[in-house]
Amino acid sequence: VTLKVVVLVKQVPDHEAAIQVVSEQELDIEKRYVCSYFDEVAIEAALALQKAHEVELVALAAGSKHAVDALRRAVAMGIDRVEQIEQDNLAQSDSLAVAHALASRLKVLEPDLVLCGKQGGDDEQAAVGPMVAQLMEIPHVSAAVSLSLDPANSSATVERMSEGEVWTLQTGLPLLVSAEKGLAEPHVPVVTRVMKAMKAKIEVVPVEPLLDLPDTEIRMQRLRYLPPPTRPPVKMLISPFPGNVAELVDALGEAGVLPGKGDPS
Amino acid sequence: MSPGEIWVVAEFRRDGLTRVSEQLVGAARDLAAHKELTPLAVLIGGEKSQAEELTRLAPHVLWVDNPALTPYEANRHVVALSKLIDSRGAPAAILAGASAAGLEFMPGLAARLRAAYLSSCTRLWWEGEQLAVRRAVFGGRVYEEFVVRTSPAVLTVRPGAFPRPEPLTSPGELESAKPGSTEFEGPKVTQTRSTTSGGRDLSEASRVVAGGRGLGSPENFQLIEQLAEALDASVGASRSVVDAGWRPHDEQVGKSGKTISPELYVACGISGAIHHVLGMNTAKVVVAINTDAEAPIFQSADFGVVGDANQVVPELIRELGRK
Repeated sequence: VTLKVVVLVKQVPDHEAAIQVVSEQELDIEKRYVCSYFDEVAIEAALALQKAHEVELVALAAGSKHAVDALRRAVAMGIDRVEQIEQDNLAQSDSLAVAHALASRLKVLEPDLVLCGKQGGDDEQAAVGPMVAQLMEIPHVSAAVSLSLDPANSSATVERMSEGEVWTLQTGLPLLVSAEKGLAEPHVPVVTRVMKAMKAKIEVVPVEPLLDLPDTEIRMQRLRYLPPPTRPPVKMLISPFPGNVAELVDALGEAGVLPGKGDPS
Repeated sequence: MSPGEIWVVAEFRRDGLTRVSEQLVGAARDLAAHKELTPLAVLIGGEKSQAEELTRLAPHVLWVDNPALTPYEANRHVVALSKLIDSRGAPAAILAGASAAGLEFMPGLAARLRAAYLSSCTRLWWEGEQLAVRRAVFGGRVYEEFVVRTSPAVLTVRPGAFPRPEPLTSPGELESAKPGSTEFEGPKVTQTRSTTSGGRDLSEASRVVAGGRGLGSPENFQLIEQLAEALDASVGASRSVVDAGWRPHDEQVGKSGKTISPELYVACGISGAIHHVLGMNTAKVVVAINTDAEAPIFQSADFGVVGDANQVVPELIRELGRK
């Protein structure tokens, strides 16, 4: 049995890229795009499945033109076939609109398994995976730390992480699984593969909308971007040890953050 | 469809009702009071005692009493909630904690309802007749604010964003609903096991003590555990010590780990790489202990001690003991 596995990938600014709030309506983001970390975990997990089973692998991205950077990373890591959805303005859309574009293409690809990162490294919505599954009317499991497939029975065993607990689930295919850290350890591709990926063919695919989904503006409107509140300058406790530690305890007592008052744990 | 209610989907774990569920009941009470709405705590599956516990805080509790909905499973949760909307009408908003479960079922519910979904909100308020939210993006380097235009608005909220509400003076009303079907397709939970020693999970903790490479060895993490005990705190770790195998993944604070907003965060022997800071810079009070006075962690701290954590932490435990 050959299984079709599609990995959803997203480009995000590198976590060291400079990001400035220019105005309430505009961000200035340094153009250093990488594949989102959790999507790399999903790619690695897909490659591991390909080693264990007969698997046809596709990586799929939607979003801005920078999606190419994430897809090239997928190629460098070892995924042969990559597709980019052709649709304008997805970068300004909500998670549901992006999920809709992806689900529309996935309906055509008919995967047995869809893998993605548990959240994007930019908006951190953690929404597109579960939404894609719902729109495709297939089950999903989020934050997976292990995944094994039984192709003969068209089933899967998934372990998901939940606040200090590991939950084991049994489920049939098709299925969508989002990757938590630990599902796989993404490898850094060798330079020759990165170079080769720069020339790889990226298929741009049009999509027929699955549903008549209204535009993002019908659901929500962004009012503004804001810089985060700034922390006052650090107060260094400079008395010689152990006096500085006593000062620290006094300061924490004054700040009201020591246990015992008001807030039982 | 009359959007006359605000729902909070309550979550219970091993150690009881989650704090974020409590906080959300308080938030729903406040939001509802401004618009003559009814705050409703919704319990999907679970036990009657849990529904009764909710009546301490919520003036109205709806318990979907169906054994097939226990234990929690995301796809079933979505079906149960959308059936509830079919029978009761859509509320103005559905709120849940941004926990592993909340982040799993709430986007699916929003997609099924074609509703607005925003996750990990840190503030909710009314902007005229519309509900508005604030949330952090790019690891807290930028905040964004939205107004939400669908009924319901489907929102997850970060633990610690709202205070714990006062209990009601008299218990709320408990109503139970029996959904027609008890058969659900989809994944089945076959096992759950704990990976921690039983302490409160990081994301819900009021206080967190975290350790990094500066501790020198995995054995020295005992000091972190002891300080955590003295402070009634949970234990966190930097990426480098998790990657080195000193600590489990679910203790990692940072960009590829957890984003947390405790009242107190004590960083011991952590240099403060941007990766780490992105996970903790919304903490209220930050203490940094590091041998290097130039370490970037001090720029993200309120109080700084230059010194070896292996020396400072035991003294700190002693000093706390004297109080």
